[in-house]
Amino acid sequence: MIRRPQALVLLLGIAVASAAAVGALTTTNARPAPGATALHVAAGLSFIGVGVVVWSREPANRTGLLTAAVGLAWFVTDVRYLPSSVAFTVADLVGAPLAYAVLAHLAVAFPSGRLRSRSERAVVVIAYGWLILENLAQDVFWAPADSRCDCVRNLIVVHRDAHLHGIVGNVQQAINVVLAFVVLRIVLDHWSKATPPGRRALAPVFWASGPILLAVIALQAVGAFGSLKGLDAALAYLTPLALMSLPFGFLAGFVHSRLSHLAVGHLVIELGGAPPRGRLRDTLARALGDPSLMVAYWMPDFRAYVDTDGRRVDLPTEQNQRAATFIERAGEPVAALLHDPSLKNDPWLIDAVAAAAGLALENERLHADISAQLKEVRASRARIVEASDAERRRLERDLHDGAQQRLVSLSLALRLAGDQLGNAPEPLVRETLNAAADQLRLAIAELRELASGIHPAILTEAGLGPALQSVAERAPLPVALTVPTDRLPRPVEAAAYFVVCEAVANICKHADAHSATVSARRLDGRLLVEVADDGVGGADPSHGSGLRGLADRVAALNGRIDVVSPPGQGTRIVVTIPCG
Amino acid sequence: MRVVVADDSVLLREGLVRLLSEAGFTVTGQAGDPDTLLRSVRTERPDVAIIDIRMPPTYTTEGLEAALAIRAEDPNIGVLVLSQHIETHYAMQLVASGATGVGYLLKDRVADIAEFIDAIRRVGSGRSVIDPLVVSKLVERPREQSPLVTLSQRERDVLSLIAEGRSNHAICERLFLSPKTVEAHVRNIFSKLGIEEATDDNRRVLSVLAYLRA
Repeated sequence: MIRRPQALVLLLGIAVASAAAVGALTTTNARPAPGATALHVAAGLSFIGVGVVVWSREPANRTGLLTAAVGLAWFVTDVRYLPSSVAFTVADLVGAPLAYAVLAHLAVAFPSGRLRSRSERAVVVIAYGWLILENLAQDVFWAPADSRCDCVRNLIVVHRDAHLHGIVGNVQQAINVVLAFVVLRIVLDHWSKATPPGRRALAPVFWASGPILLAVIALQAVGAFGSLKGLDAALAYLTPLALMSLPFGFLAGFVHSRLSHLAVGHLVIELGGAPPRGRLRDTLARALGDPSLMVAYWMPDFRAYVDTDGRRVDLPTEQNQRAATFIERAGEPVAALLHDPSLKNDPWLIDAVAAAAGLALENERLHADISAQLKEVRASRARIVEASDAERRRLERDLHDGAQQRLVSLSLALRLAGDQLGNAPEPLVRETLNAAADQLRLAIAELRELASGIHPAILTEAGLGPALQSVAERAPLPVALTVPTDRLPRPVEAAAYFVVCEAVANICKHADAHSATVSARRLDGRLLVEVADDGVGGADPSHGSGLRGLADRVAALNGRIDVVSPPGQGTRIVVTIPCG
Repeated sequence: MRVVVADDSVLLREGLVRLLSEAGFTVTGQAGDPDTLLRSVRTERPDVAIIDIRMPPTYTTEGLEAALAIRAEDPNIGVLVLSQHIETHYAMQLVASGATGVGYLLKDRVADIAEFIDAIRRVGSGRSVIDPLVVSKLVERPREQSPLVTLSQRERDVLSLIAEGRSNHAICERLFLSPKTVEAHVRNIFSKLGIEEATDDNRRVLSVLAYLRA
């Protein structure tokens, strides 16, 4: 699994670590304790090792490389064991600070390896710049006093002045502490904004930041105030230990995420058992450890993603803190998983889940596709009914305000003309005029019936109750009526009205009934209409287009018509329409 | 008698105005919408307002609402509502608004000039006028086990005329009966139907209509 560059880094790291160990153990110059040396080497190696492992697993993520870089930088300080003034100068100038600069970079960029904002980039650049250059100011005043040989010396000393060297050092230590707190602040900020999966990913840096910060503060304190009862000796042990908490925490998180990959195995088994429709999301959410997961399905007809109910889904944007993974089969989009962005840090997991769920998602997509189309068809059917109702209302109004008004005016004019003739000697003309007026009255009455049949004005004006009352009053058989007093949505009223009209007309034509009952009432957000008669029964609802056409109208409102008509026991028609 | 005419059709309104003027009415105002009507009624205080039920802006029941508003402001002004469709629902709303001086007629009735003018006069003198079509629809409606079936044909005729808002005197004239006979019929009808006989003709209309509609 380990690729070439990673292998090189690993070998380089081991070589550098060994050299550092040998250097520390053989130096004649302020030799550290062997235990401290061992911890020092272990700390650097742990960064390199963990870094290489992570880097080889996720080469695109810079975190692994940065982790390894911390380890390598950690050993730069050890070149001072080389018997060379150049090496000594470089070690003192950039040695220890470089490792902390890379560490700050890692902490800020964790876990994606990318810096999130301009200010974070600025902090990292300042950390590199400051930590590499900080010793420069100090070193121009300083020459190592404790050299036991004159073989190495500080090459950039300009003016030997222990006092100035001390003052510059104190300023430096104060800035180091401030810088450490700035980095801590960024880490805490990331933590507070993170989602639960995001916090899982951030955990190694979050938990290591405390010990490392303490170590940094202690180091600066020792630099400023001297040994402090052997603290400096203790720090030679404690600092590497504090630093090591980061790679080991990282490793633990990595092992945990490997374990979560086992969930993909469970997922494959679960999907094999064909989860019930609609439960796929839950199954995938479990496998990904992301309860907020949403699954969106690609609808080729609409060129959009929808959820299982066929509603349109907006894909994540930069703002809404979501990420999308797109799933394709045979080059065609199938679905998108909308998940927590932190899952992008583990692309293997999300890819594996996506691959395992492909077929099940395709299946679910087809269901979602059908739901979406059904929804569209339902909506268009409702629109057609609504449009035809509007057209009927318009026709009725046109007849009323146009033809009927004119005919009434005309009949009035005819009567007036007849009256004006008075007792003139043309009784025939007068009779003709009256006959014309009578004809006109019949025409007006017929037109009234026609207009009312197209769409009764009272239904629009006063609602279902008065409109059904009117139907009952016109019916040629006794109709017992129960109606709602409140208004209902217009399409619901129209559907209920026309069903009752058709049912009453059928009773008169076919049922041979003595009486009928019509009841309309609201029940649990639905309108329940019942038309029953005491006639011969045996009605076959599949015959006759009247009620069938109305069944379509009712279905357009997600309602239904049931006809119960046993021979000899009357007919009962029950209509239920949801009405909010 | 002073009248105000409200109808959004200019043609029909002018025809009405001519008819009414020739019949000896003083047309003190004309309106094509409810607001103009209400203003005109307030300033002119006519005996009767003749109102088309459908008027702007929605052309549904603005006329009816205006009529009820006039009744609420001044019960002494009679309102006669004309409608292209006959609906007992609206007739009841009018009659229930105070029962004196209200009328509800099918619009075509304007061509029955004598009847129409009689109706305006009756409304103007504080009586009620209900379109015969409303009444016949209610009286002839099929019923189960109703005391109505026990009425004789003559009694039914009398009942219809009562429901149309006619006085006993008018019923005598219509049916060529003596006042005593009519009174006897009326008593019989009310006792058969089990309605308390109202002394006032307009209350009588309301109770009979309510009975027929139940």
